Amino acid sequence: MTAAPANLPRPARRPSNLLPMLGVALAALLLYWPLMLWANSGQAARSLASGADLGCTTALACATQLRNPVIPAPGQFATGFTSLSVPPLAPTSAPYNALVTGGETLLGLALASVLGLVLATLLVRSRSFERATLPWLVASQTVPIVALAPMLAVLLGQYGVQGFLPKAIIAAYIAFFPIAIGMAQGLRSPDPLQLDLMRTYRASPAQVFGLLQVPASLPYLFTSLKVAATAALVGSIVAEISTISFSGLGKMLAENSRASDTVALWVIMIYGAALGIVLVALIGGLERLVTRWRPPA
Amino acid sequence: MTASRPTSDAPIVSVRDLQMIFPTPGGQTVALQDANLQIMPGEFISLIGPSGCGKTTLLRLMADLIQPTGGELLVNGGTPRKARENRAYGYVFQAPALMEWRNVLNNVKLPLDVMNTPKAERDSRAREMLKLVGLEKFERSYPWQLSGGMQQRVSIARALAFDPPLLFMDEPFGALDEITRENLNLELLRLWRETGKTVVFVTHSISEAVFLSTRVVVMTARPGKIEGIVDIGLPHPRSDDSREDPRFFEYATQIRELLKKGHS
Repeated sequence: MTAAPANLPRPARRPSNLLPMLGVALAALLLYWPLMLWANSGQAARSLASGADLGCTTALACATQLRNPVIPAPGQFATGFTSLSVPPLAPTSAPYNALVTGGETLLGLALASVLGLVLATLLVRSRSFERATLPWLVASQTVPIVALAPMLAVLLGQYGVQGFLPKAIIAAYIAFFPIAIGMAQGLRSPDPLQLDLMRTYRASPAQVFGLLQVPASLPYLFTSLKVAATAALVGSIVAEISTISFSGLGKMLAENSRASDTVALWVIMIYGAALGIVLVALIGGLERLVTRWRPPA
Repeated sequence: MTASRPTSDAPIVSVRDLQMIFPTPGGQTVALQDANLQIMPGEFISLIGPSGCGKTTLLRLMADLIQPTGGELLVNGGTPRKARENRAYGYVFQAPALMEWRNVLNNVKLPLDVMNTPKAERDSRAREMLKLVGLEKFERSYPWQLSGGMQQRVSIARALAFDPPLLFMDEPFGALDEITRENLNLELLRLWRETGKTVVFVTHSISEAVFLSTRVVVMTARPGKIEGIVDIGLPHPRSDDSREDPRFFEYATQIRELLKKGHS
């Protein structure tokens, strides 16, 4: 046996996505100005024709001055961001409300994970459980969440569950499904040879589960958690919009949509998108931490 | 018996009129018919034959991974089930079947973890096994960082980790290239001599079977049965020179004739 070097080289990391992504961002930025002028000019022309005093003379010049633009001009974005972000933790500020929504989403995701893991274990353990419940689980996901949310909120309200928790429960309602399905697939993923191997060791069912099925399912778990996180975020925002809420991005969206404050809606939308990206990135970071054994993608 | 070591009189594996019938959509398949075989402790037995001859079936029966439909089978002085429950054999599969989330050392430790071996013993025992297969420098590597041959050596170390008297190997080198395979054959013979295990080795390579074995069990298909048993009288320890021995070719020819007989 020849002594080979013990430090096997890890393959070079895959080239970063950063440059291509920056390219797309640059293209979007270049397109933004003409698109904004084009989208707003119709409304500007109508306002001018109706004799409104916008402090400008041509439709093109007025396109950046509208009260409720389709796409806000840079200056409007800047004022909108400032007024909604300073001070960041005021009850009317977007960062504070994003934290509320983020908290609901994370709690919902935690509830969904517990439920998903239990369901996945039962689905994998018992064929009859799977045959009896899987159609109902699928059916539960076909109910439109917008229709379900107010009813759930009223129902939970009768038992004194109010505020933060109903939103988390509604988020969990749509997030548990991808986790249960992904995790069940993961628990079934071990190779037949690996199962035979455990059998030759006379491993107990609990050992097969803990030493083989659970670690084998981790990559599946994280993939489904990322899907579930975005679903849970949609769930908590929809829950905030469609039930009585005193905080959260959804409550802000509902208010500003009634007031037709398009600049505020844009700002809140961007906060929502950022929140989604942060949640998925958090899970991605956790995944890299937990599955260090995997080869670099 | 041509093994160069003394053996006791009681067979460690005893196969009597063993039969295995699988139900199939169109009726049934006789995977193994009236098999008879006695394996003595310390032997290196190869099961050779075309696909469908029941060689893997016979090995899986010995390992209690499937149950026979007829006949009698004793492993390590009891039923195969008892042998499995007593952890009397290590099994090496066609694929390494390593746990990709465990590094090399922890893969070798897997059976010790399952068997609740005292914690202090697990590391030293696993390191000893890795040294035996020449991989002590790779204990921190993960399976994907190793070549196919190295992965299979890890799986052999894992099978030996709990020191079972029997080693069952199901075409362990089938997926490897010729050069790697011949190197691993030499290494396996050294392991066999050093550890004194009884090895039952499934292969479809005639030269591999002759080179490794004390006896070669030739099997034929449809129905799967034992066509004959060839004693390999090549002296131990064997080396690459053994492959040049005129007797090597005689045994290979004998095996080939038996395989042909079953084919006609």
